[in-house]
Amino acid sequence: MARKSLITGSLALLLFVPQAWASESVQEQRHDLMETAKDAAKAIGGMLKGEQPFDAAVAMESFSTWENVAAKAGDLFPEGSETGYDTEAKETIWTDREGFDVELETFSMAVTNAAMAAPQNVEELKAAAGPVFDACKSCHEGYRVEDQN
Amino acid sequence: MGRSIKWLLAGGLVLAFVFWPLTQPVYLSLADLPDHRADPVNGEQIFIAGGCTSCHGDRLEGGQELKSDFGTFFVPNISPDPDTGIGDWSDLDLVNAMMLGSSPGGLHYYPSFPYTSYTRMKVQDIIDLKAWLDTLEPVDNPVKPHDLGFPWSVRRAVGLWKMLYLEQGPVVPGTGSDPVYERGRYLVEGAGHCGECHTPRGILGGLQDARWLAGGPNPDGEGSVPNITSHKNGLGSWSEADIAYYLESGFTPDFDTVGGSMVKVQEHIAQLPESDRKAIAAYLKSIPALP
Ligand code: HEC
Ligand code: HEC
Ligand code: HEC
Repeated sequence: MARKSLITGSLALLLFVPQAWASESVQEQRHDLMETAKDAAKAIGGMLKGEQPFDAAVAMESFSTWENVAAKAGDLFPEGSETGYDTEAKETIWTDREGFDVELETFSMAVTNAAMAAPQNVEELKAAAGPVFDACKSCHEGYRVEDQN
Repeated sequence: MGRSIKWLLAGGLVLAFVFWPLTQPVYLSLADLPDHRADPVNGEQIFIAGGCTSCHGDRLEGGQELKSDFGTFFVPNISPDPDTGIGDWSDLDLVNAMMLGSSPGGLHYYPSFPYTSYTRMKVQDIIDLKAWLDTLEPVDNPVKPHDLGFPWSVRRAVGLWKMLYLEQGPVVPGTGSDPVYERGRYLVEGAGHCGECHTPRGILGGLQDARWLAGGPNPDGEGSVPNITSHKNGLGSWSEADIAYYLESGFTPDFDTVGGSMVKVQEHIAQLPESDRKAIAAYLKSIPALP
């Protein structure tokens, strides 16, 4: 009996999950994706600032999160998603798609390089993560609007 | 910018003429300069801290438009070109421009050139800065005159304004004994001119020292500039390490990125030594916390 409900339960979940994905707007998805980029950056920043001890595995985990961001972000800014869900996406993404793609490519390369460097101490981590951080900043400068604090 | 202000200004203008001798630009003379051998290496640090390129352009070529309530300023060429830049200036000319807002031709500069902060710099540092500027490439680029409405177009009236707002002393009186704090103060109140954006202005455009670094409306239009005192509305939850790291990397403690007009400032401060960023952080954490 217990097993049966477990099975129906997971079946229901299987059915439910794709639907949950489908009902989430791209604006929401890219927001959530960027939040993962942020959390990954936080983990690395904590080590760079000396708040957390260096941990090579944590660094690699952040790199792999960023690889996921780099792989997915390109598809999450389709025409028609310029507004909605309090998006901070700037209209330049759609008026200058090429520039945006270059930013994304630069980011993606920086992440790949960082992962290949596989840093073993804080100094190496700083050198590896630096270009990634620069890529986050650079893309935001051109393609994200300021939040008006 | 209502009618009352126009009247206030017209009044100010009358006063400016009444007090003609008082509104005369003030100058230092050669005898006031210290005996100092210029050091362009230090000059480059001062140049970076002062963020001159933020307004004058990467090659100091000028020509950028600065829009304000008073009209449009066209930022001058300060590259060492003798005809269209400041190539023929002496050390003394630069000291008078940056510390007293007075031009070699006997006129007042407008405070859109942030000499209200630079006035707190050391004369030696400005002489070093001049030596650094002289090593840069001259750019031949004539810049048109400012486009300002009356009465702002009358430079003489700036003399009165300066009497009210040009002060050389430290903004936050305090512990002259701690060299780290003093270095931070020098960078924030002087060369770094942080107050020019982070301190709200009164109706005549002067900084309100009582609200020092407490944030306010953005002078270039949209949104606001954050409070950077250690109040909870400001940097209360930031550690000194957080502040230094933000200035180095452009990431807040929450790992959001720096934006807006702060980007250039951050990129400049990132080029200074780590000890300077720590000094700025120590200063910001020590000054009065304002809501
Ligand atoms: C190729 C461009 C690009 C890159 C690279 C990029 N971002 Fe973003 N980021 C954006 C855009 C566009 C938005 C606004 C998305 C929206 O609101 O629809 C954003 C939003 C964000 C947000 C706000 C999330 C929210 O909506 O509240 C954070 C945090 C963030 N990014 C962090 C990062 C970090 C950290 C990195 C680097 C590891 C990074 N981003 C790299 C383009 C980029
Ligand atoms: C916030 C913008 C801003 C910054 C930063 C700035 N300036 Fe300027 N500067 C101006 C403006 C605007 C003027 C024109 C003022 C006027 O005409 O009254 C000016 C004028 C000058 C002049 C007078 C030029 C002339 O032809 O008479 C000099 C010299 C100068 N700046 C040097 C510097 C140096 C050196 C720095 C960096 C330490 C610097 N400025 C940083 C905006 C700026
Ligand atoms: C040209 C105007 C300008 C100048 C000059 C300036 N700032 Fe800023 N600053 C800003 C703006 C605008 C922001 C908000 C940035 C954002 O939205 O990401 C900011 C943000 C900050 C923050 C982050 C505050 C927060 O709550 O996120 C700190 C810290 C800071 N500035 C320190 C300084 C220091 C130190 C200096 C002087 C060396 C300085 N600023 C000079 C405009 C300026």
